[in-house]
Amino acid sequence: MTTRRSFLGGAAVTAAAAALQSALPASAQSPAGQSFGAPDYNLEIAELDWELAAHKKIRTWAYNGQIPGPLLRVTEGKPVSIEIANRTDHPEIVHWHGQWIPVAADGAAEEGSPMIPAGASTRITFTPRPAGLHWYHTHAPADRNLSRGLYTGQFGVLQVAPRSGPGLDPGHYDQEQFIVLHDWDPYYASSDDGSLMVNYASGSINGRLLGHGEPIPVRPGQRVLFQVLNASATEPHWLSLPGHHFQVLALDGAPVATQATVPMLRLGPAERVTAIVTMDHPGVWVLGEVQRTFRDAGIGIVVEYAGATGEPQSTKLEHLTWDYRVFGSPTPAIHKPDLTIPLVFTSRFKGHGALDQWMINGKSYPRTQMPNLHAGLRHRLVFINHSTDNHPVHLHRHNFELVSISGVPLSGVHKDVVVVDAGTTVEADLIADNPGNTLFHCHQQDHMDMGFMGVFRYA
Amino acid sequence: MKSFLLAIVAFAAVIAAIPAARGQNNYEIQVYGSETVAPKTTMVELHSNFTVDGQKNVVDGMEPDNHVEHETVEITQGINDWSEVGFYIFTSEKSGQGVQWVGDHIRPRVRVPPSWHWPVGVSLSTEAGYQRAKFAPDTWDWEIRPIIDKTSGRWYWAVNPALERAWHGPDVKLGIDFSPAVKISYDFTKQITGGIEYYADYGSITDIASLHDQQQQIFPAIDLNVSPNWEINFGVGVGPTAATDHWIVKGIIGRRFSWGKLN
Repeated sequence: MTTRRSFLGGAAVTAAAAALQSALPASAQSPAGQSFGAPDYNLEIAELDWELAAHKKIRTWAYNGQIPGPLLRVTEGKPVSIEIANRTDHPEIVHWHGQWIPVAADGAAEEGSPMIPAGASTRITFTPRPAGLHWYHTHAPADRNLSRGLYTGQFGVLQVAPRSGPGLDPGHYDQEQFIVLHDWDPYYASSDDGSLMVNYASGSINGRLLGHGEPIPVRPGQRVLFQVLNASATEPHWLSLPGHHFQVLALDGAPVATQATVPMLRLGPAERVTAIVTMDHPGVWVLGEVQRTFRDAGIGIVVEYAGATGEPQSTKLEHLTWDYRVFGSPTPAIHKPDLTIPLVFTSRFKGHGALDQWMINGKSYPRTQMPNLHAGLRHRLVFINHSTDNHPVHLHRHNFELVSISGVPLSGVHKDVVVVDAGTTVEADLIADNPGNTLFHCHQQDHMDMGFMGVFRYA
Repeated sequence: MKSFLLAIVAFAAVIAAIPAARGQNNYEIQVYGSETVAPKTTMVELHSNFTVDGQKNVVDGMEPDNHVEHETVEITQGINDWSEVGFYIFTSEKSGQGVQWVGDHIRPRVRVPPSWHWPVGVSLSTEAGYQRAKFAPDTWDWEIRPIIDKTSGRWYWAVNPALERAWHGPDVKLGIDFSPAVKISYDFTKQITGGIEYYADYGSITDIASLHDQQQQIFPAIDLNVSPNWEINFGVGVGPTAATDHWIVKGIIGRRFSWGKLN
């Protein structure tokens, strides 16, 4: 039944959508004014009861009634239109993580992208770039509500195929597997350092607890291309496959200078890894969290060689290892920056029963004061982490090249999220080539909700 | 700060209004929180309590505790994310008598997992054991201790309405004894938490003791959160009733040992 109120709401939304369309820059609009034709994709945000395992259901919000949301395959440089229907009872917004697109389409209210009112629909159109493994997810704040924001099932993979020219060449591979990690059943608990943090009772790969999803069937000698995304709201994860190694081809969708082979992957929240694994160790294995606590909570998926039988075997590793530097150029080439922007991360204790307040250069969002960016110039962002937490910091609508970690020079690793470990400094070069408000934030939902955000503006 | 002082005054007023009771043996003076020790983790604590002004005479065959140091070693093993088992070694040290073994207790505990999203932390501890008659009239006893707590911002409170039962000794006939403990504290900084702890023994639940025979202790106490692996608590207690030791200094130092977290 349409009430006057819902009619007015719908009318307002239509007006807002029209306003948005008119506000979109050319590269954010669909070609030939096809805004109200059939979109390339539809996304419906709605509540659902999702079965993580046979006897484990959760109620959450998700895209198109599935977790993860539908895999969206688009082509670099070819405009795509997406109709988003918000069937929730609260405003929502979808962020196209890793895409160099205009503010209106980016999906971050802090930059100025419009929220989608409850019950309304909107259409966004953008021209995907760059190619690689990217994703889309809600960018609505959770505040302290653990059933909102990235604590929900609102995430999915956006795979951008290169249109032409040099892109990621994974070489020959026999199958491609998308691996999406997420943590569920969040609750507040004391952290080791005495501050409140978010813990989880369960976790999943591709929406299923370990042992409750379909195994990945492989044959000896196969090369499997794994496209891995950590869609957790707050947790970094380490992944391993017993007896196998990962040849890392790309980080956050960008090809790396050195395709190093590593025994495990680490992905901070929002990070992506593209890696090849040669199946040369027959058996039944768990591709899963190295840390048993998380594996027991469900973060794993069975990899089953043809003809192999028995219980899936997990990794027994003594140490967690990961170093971005192994993927850098063997001879780092560091350019002189035009501008240097120090960003100091600190926190303020608010009690053992409260989340810490987070600050960039001494101020919390929305009071953060970020220096202006200058189009065409090389900006050296200096991430100085004075806190006792690691921070997966993310820059919207751009990426950056890592140029040093703890003073050790590096080049050839381009990312849009980098984990800055506690007490360390990471330097990254940003070429400002996508004018418009640009959000910078820690991708831990609880940190960004508690002030760890700032908006760069172009001069 | 003002709200903290007001809360302390209010807390003291509540305490003053309670018809007081009999008390504990001052081997472990601690208000329990609802959290349990994590799996693959062992917590080793040393409870050091010195009675500055206490009982000076032998009562019912019990050694006086004036100027006596009680050292208790508590070892707690985390079983899973909702249970633990603790083990106690009680000792008593007095000038001229050296270190004397007093007894041992075992204490299993379960809690409501935080993933149940209860608005307060809840756990249930039960403790049983032996102590030599020279140090306690009841040589075997048992306790069940519900634990309810809540942290909100800088504030924390915990309530332990414990029930005790003597299995062997003169108090068997008294039935179940009510021994509540309460704590309220405030985080002044991340490292320093100050608060008030209250311990009491009201006597049998079917025959509450007179104020004179009740035991009540109030401890201004400080918790130092210097490291995730260490637990440090210090307090000075006053016992206002005749049956209570009048002045006690207590300290707890604990170290958490973890292993095998990965696998």
